[in-house]
Amino acid sequence: MGGSVRARVARMTASPTTRGLPIEIRGLSKSFGPVLAVDDLSFTVEPGRVTGFLGPNGSGKTTTLRMLLGLVHPSAGTATIAGRNYQDLENPTSSVGAVLEATSFHPARRARTHLRMAARAGGHDEKRADEVLGLVGLTGDAKRKIGGFSMGMRQRLELATALIGDPDVLILDEPSNGLDPQGIAWLRDFMRYLAGEGRTVLVSSHLLSEMAQTIDNAIIVSFGQLKAQGTLEEITAGITGVVMRARTPEADRLAGVLTQSGIAFRRLAHDEIAMDGVTPEQVGPLLASNQIVLYELMQEGGDLESVFLSLTSGLGFGGVETQ
Amino acid sequence: MINALRAELLKMRTMPGVWVSFGLAFPLTVLIVLAVLAAAGGFSGHTFYYVSSLSQRRQLLGAGYFSIEVLAPIVGVLCITSEYRQKTITTSLVLVPVRTRLLLAKVIAVALWSIFIALLGLVAIAAVALPWNAALGGVTSQVTDQVGAVVPGLLASAVLLGLFGLGFGTLVKNQVAAILLTIGGTLILESILIALAKAIFHYDLNWLPNGAGAALAGDIARGFGGGNGHDGIHLLTWWQGGLVLLAWGLGPLTLGYFTTFRRDVT
Repeated sequence: MGGSVRARVARMTASPTTRGLPIEIRGLSKSFGPVLAVDDLSFTVEPGRVTGFLGPNGSGKTTTLRMLLGLVHPSAGTATIAGRNYQDLENPTSSVGAVLEATSFHPARRARTHLRMAARAGGHDEKRADEVLGLVGLTGDAKRKIGGFSMGMRQRLELATALIGDPDVLILDEPSNGLDPQGIAWLRDFMRYLAGEGRTVLVSSHLLSEMAQTIDNAIIVSFGQLKAQGTLEEITAGITGVVMRARTPEADRLAGVLTQSGIAFRRLAHDEIAMDGVTPEQVGPLLASNQIVLYELMQEGGDLESVFLSLTSGLGFGGVETQ
Repeated sequence: MINALRAELLKMRTMPGVWVSFGLAFPLTVLIVLAVLAAAGGFSGHTFYYVSSLSQRRQLLGAGYFSIEVLAPIVGVLCITSEYRQKTITTSLVLVPVRTRLLLAKVIAVALWSIFIALLGLVAIAAVALPWNAALGGVTSQVTDQVGAVVPGLLASAVLLGLFGLGFGTLVKNQVAAILLTIGGTLILESILIALAKAIFHYDLNWLPNGAGAALAGDIARGFGGGNGHDGIHLLTWWQGGLVLLAWGLGPLTLGYFTTFRRDVT
């Protein structure tokens, strides 16, 4: 299925070179009674890129996306698309498509009828229902009642609903929930292609392993607050939590060199040393100039998952932008 | 607005509950026709008899009112509460983000479905009641003479009772509770209150939803005992009934809009 996505998308969607709209969140806050779900959040999502909106469960991702779509009223701040509130957009479903929850279907309704309803509501041609069903691979299930759909099929149908207006901005809240590995790979390809068309793709998730392979930019939130934002490279390169682990028969000599160089380290075993806050580019020349025999040199902690865990556990590693 | 309305009509067309309500309109009306023709004979030797007095003729023509007073509020309730029950409100508000527009589309959709229910009742009158009355010796033109007095009000009360259901559904959100409140309230509680008010205070409690609707629909007497009354009480004039029923529809709807419909959808 994955291989046919590009062809299908190209055939069924418009393809201007630049068509995305920026999303701007400024000083956004939301309280539910005493609970501060979103706390003075500010970030921008640029067109033409897949931006991951990452954070643990309960970190305010869904609330933020719902405020962006006018479903939840902000306590303070603004959430706009191309400078306007979602409900003020001239043709909302042509501008924005949203995947929010895979359970928001009437079980007695057929997939095609659901999409015809969505097309009508947005003022689109009802033929579009069949097009988007084909786009998400549900053509054969068009006449089936949604009540009999699996979670994965519902996710695809939700995505089809979001695409009904061929929107410039796609907002997806945990879209891979319920998808099998094949479906996840398909979704990844799909999002990348849509961003490649110049659309704005904002996808929230708490599943880092999936997102790391998909997103260009990341916005990391925890407890409703922005913890980091930037490109993946910027975020992972900027952290101070990287650990270099070296295995060497000359561990004692290496320890001496590191002490002389002012690099913090820990002895893990008789032949193993962990060095904090250094890069391979710093350690490599140091080892070479001192002619230290090396069995293994590994970098740990520089990946997105480590950054995410560090940032969201309250330890406060710094990304490109942190609060 | 037209797009939102078209979507709402399609939504309602694909709700089993709406079709069940629609399907009950015909048999319920026939049931009332049966009761009116039975009552017309005064149970004196004839099981069924043709209608003759003005109130009897109006009762026969307005026999569909019973199905309207039961089914139109249910359709109104279903239109909004199914959105919350099935969580489709999220999708609906993403597709039609201006909430007043979505609610207005629902108002019109419910009004149209309520009119369909009323029209189906009238079809039952034309197909069953009039031929049967004629077969019993009645004069059809004496019944159809009352079309102007009954049918416009019948259609208007269908619209307003649908609105009443939509209003309660918006206010309460829970489907079962909203249906119990509207149907139980209008069919059971209203009758009890009317009887109590009459018995204890000698007061005609004629401004509750069904009483107002009956007044609007051509002064149709309830209980089929004939006479210009509603369970023995004097009804409002048709326009007073219309205004009161409008208030019963708009009141809960307005309250529901400000207290529930505008709330965060989390």
